[in-house]
Amino acid sequence: MGLPMTEARLTITHPLGLHARPAALFVRTAAGFQSTVRLRNLTRDPEREADAKSILSLMTLGVEHGHEILIRADGPDEEAAIAALRQLVETNFGES
Amino acid sequence: MPVGLVIVAHSQQLANGVREVALQMTGGGVRIEAVGGAAGGALGTDAEAIARAIAAADGPDGVLVLMDLGSAVLSTETAIEMLDGRLTGRVELSDAPLVEGAVVAAVEAAIGRSLDEVAQAALNARHMTKVLR
Repeated sequence: MGLPMTEARLTITHPLGLHARPAALFVRTAAGFQSTVRLRNLTRDPEREADAKSILSLMTLGVEHGHEILIRADGPDEEAAIAALRQLVETNFGES
Repeated sequence: MPVGLVIVAHSQQLANGVREVALQMTGGGVRIEAVGGAAGGALGTDAEAIARAIAAADGPDGVLVLMDLGSAVLSTETAIEMLDGRLTGRVELSDAPLVEGAVVAAVEAAIGRSLDEVAQAALNARHMTKVLR
């Protein structure tokens, strides 16, 4: 331990933001990793952190199109978790 | 095997629509049954049809039933009595709001949460804020 956690700052380009299908896909992807994954909506409230493995927690962040988010992962597979979530966001959750 | 879900509504169309939205959240893999309307197709609920839906969603990890309005609860309770001893898993009735509860339960079931966890998350969905501005 003692290693810094892995994080990524990303802008949500999906028109729905992190709601409905994109939010569910985000949670399902995060839940596939052992690491704890936490999320902040830097645009709305940079102090508030949500559990990325809980759909309810994630939806309280109100992440909309154009908002900037901070994803933090901490654990044995944190780099893989961040890579997977980054890819999801950058590929617009598999939609074009 | 994930927790199974049953959507009970007074209209088959309503149940189907909620199922459609919830299914979209799962990426497949979660059994979601939709049942609505009284016998003969009028608005209402039908205990026998609900019993068939619960049996179809049944599995070792249990079933969570989400209902639209009060009398759907009575019909579901009757359905469970009719199924007495013929199910593999436990059945829980959820007091969650139908759409929010179904969506949250579907995601929680999809990531392999237990029946108690799925039920609790669905219930917490009643506090979900939709209008943030």
